[in-house]
Amino acid sequence: MMTYTRFVGPAVACLALTLSGTAFAQQKLYGLNTGKAASGQPILVGSVVGKTGPDDFSAGALAAKAYFDCVNSNGGINGRPIQFLIEDDQWKPEVAGQVASKLVKDRGVVALVGNGSFVEMTVNAKLYEQENVAVVASACAVRECFEAKNIASTNQGPVPSNIAAVQWAIEKLGTKKVACIGLNIPSNGVWSCNLTNEWLKEKGLSGVSVLMNPGAPDANSALLEAVASGADTFLMSLPAGLAQAFLKAGQDQNLRDKYKWVAPTPLYKQGIPESIGAYWGDKVHVAIELTKWDGAGPDGKRWLAVMDKYGAKSDPRDTFSQAGFVSANIFVDALLKMDPKKIDRANVTKALKAVKNYRTDLLCGPWYFGDADFHQPNHASMIVTITKTGFKSETGCFDPSGKYFDKIRAMEKAQKLTGS
Amino acid sequence: MLLSVAALILIVPSLLDALYLRVFISSVIFTIAATGTAVLYARLGLVSLAQVALVGVGGWVTLRMWHATGLPFEVNMLAGAIISGVVGMLIGLPALRMRGLFLALITLMGAAGFQILVTGTQFPNGGDGVLGIAVTSIFMPRPLLGESDEAMLRYVCVVAVLCFLLVEFNRRTRPGRAWALIRKSEACAMASGVNVAFYKAWGFALAGFIAGIAGALLAGTLGVLDATTFPASESILLFALTVVGGAYHWLGLVLTGLLFRAAPAVLNDIGVNGHLAYVIFGAGLLHALITAPTGIAGQILDGLTQLAKRRAGR
Repeated sequence: MMTYTRFVGPAVACLALTLSGTAFAQQKLYGLNTGKAASGQPILVGSVVGKTGPDDFSAGALAAKAYFDCVNSNGGINGRPIQFLIEDDQWKPEVAGQVASKLVKDRGVVALVGNGSFVEMTVNAKLYEQENVAVVASACAVRECFEAKNIASTNQGPVPSNIAAVQWAIEKLGTKKVACIGLNIPSNGVWSCNLTNEWLKEKGLSGVSVLMNPGAPDANSALLEAVASGADTFLMSLPAGLAQAFLKAGQDQNLRDKYKWVAPTPLYKQGIPESIGAYWGDKVHVAIELTKWDGAGPDGKRWLAVMDKYGAKSDPRDTFSQAGFVSANIFVDALLKMDPKKIDRANVTKALKAVKNYRTDLLCGPWYFGDADFHQPNHASMIVTITKTGFKSETGCFDPSGKYFDKIRAMEKAQKLTGS
Repeated sequence: MLLSVAALILIVPSLLDALYLRVFISSVIFTIAATGTAVLYARLGLVSLAQVALVGVGGWVTLRMWHATGLPFEVNMLAGAIISGVVGMLIGLPALRMRGLFLALITLMGAAGFQILVTGTQFPNGGDGVLGIAVTSIFMPRPLLGESDEAMLRYVCVVAVLCFLLVEFNRRTRPGRAWALIRKSEACAMASGVNVAFYKAWGFALAGFIAGIAGALLAGTLGVLDATTFPASESILLFALTVVGGAYHWLGLVLTGLLFRAAPAVLNDIGVNGHLAYVIFGAGLLHALITAPTGIAGQILDGLTQLAKRRAGR
């Protein structure tokens, strides 16, 4: 409860600032200072994202930046502003190692927030552990990100998202065999499709992996391979741009009504319904990792308001943006509890690892960091269907069944991470 | 000369921050790779556009060897270099019959073939079987003498010097003399009793061997490798920058490594999009082709020679 209250404090202040724009509102609702911009010694915070490459994974960091700007305009962390440094790993392991060293060793950031990448977590997980720096990521896509001691993410990653989509397709669409279309990256597409196939096997069904070359992805070839596999359902476990290319290939061959089309969260993004066109209306179903972004919850509204006020118009409004916003809120709330003079890396890492049972209407379940070698705090999903003009809710929040999730739920219960 | 290089290797790493330690490690590794490109271009007049792919071959073998045997890094590096040398020689076999554009295209096809293979199969990361792919990556440890970034930079610098010396040894002995004759005229070389086919193949093998060393060092630095590092386009870029930096002197190869890896990083660090470096590279290549056939290094060395002459004249 305390955690939730701390979350709401600066949250309401930022919303009030956005809506009213008056110093009075800031002063009254933020409650930390007079509503002036923070001017103390900056707190350095970093983020490593895969911006330049096959797809752009910077939405989370951009949302975190918008929220930090909002907080800085409202007195910062007890008077100290957050200086947020975003670095692009360019989807290259060499560059990922370089920019993380720059942030962690040269700039001495107290933590990293909003990381989103296909490569950096694999390369840098060891560095983060050695340097005792905590990462509240928002777009983890590889196994190492979930199996690292010092990284916990607010997004789910492809495994729960894939399985939620498939579980719903079995229940509602009568799916029997799934072709999981992913990128041929061992710790991403291979891993997530393998686990999805294992989950299907556990349910007495079958699944096959169709893996695309990440360097030169060919949607047409992948589609043909998926068709040849004999699957009745195509699970597009791909970044948004590649999933759109796969749908385009399906449209070119007019395969819409011959198969069932489901996807994890990347397709839940503003502009996607218009981009894929009316042809796909009501035919593509997406498991979303956070709640709907037009939801009625106060944090959902606040996220959009903060993005409108402090973000750029071009900043995405998608699941990863929501996740970045939640990551930034968790970080700010943890720091607001600390003595501003004692904000250093060791104390921040300790404070972040102590976060548990963190609740927001942007997530289906409570979030925690915890002190473990494995972190999968977000595993409950919702299903939406892409219509001709937007997204339609199919379900509320639900936690997928299966051994993979039973293990996580047992650990949460044993360590009392979710308050239950 | 060697003493001043040793002093530089000892002192410079301790002055760099963490970012530039990493950047210079990469730069020196690709300086080594460029050394192989330069052997073919400067000594034999041949264009090879497969050098970065051969770096990848060396890295692949090194990782596979370590995961399979756990032998010390240096042994795995040597194995990577030898296999890469053999592959380099095979890619260069068409050079026995052709040169110029057609040879360049064939080597480029070799690089593209490697790119397709390695993106399809990925690099070994601790799994079973020939390919050795695991879902969770196991990192190859760094060499014992290069565990920290500072030590690793010194380590790669020492290896780079050894590679320069290896090339220089070849240049000053029988292969070097044969290459010089082949470069002038293959007919003259044959008439002089030079085994043209053997020494051309030797050049490709040496270039591949050195690329394999670079690949092993890259794998040793990162612990894992990714196919995104080795697209065919990188081989073209490395060749172009070898021409810009200067293929005829070790200074040019150092400049090549810096242009290849340090220039984009510096631009990124000062807030300019690192991809602007490609525009600069294009301008540099035009400059080199029009006014500086021996590259930036050639211009610097010519300038220094003239300066020395003027001083002597006074």
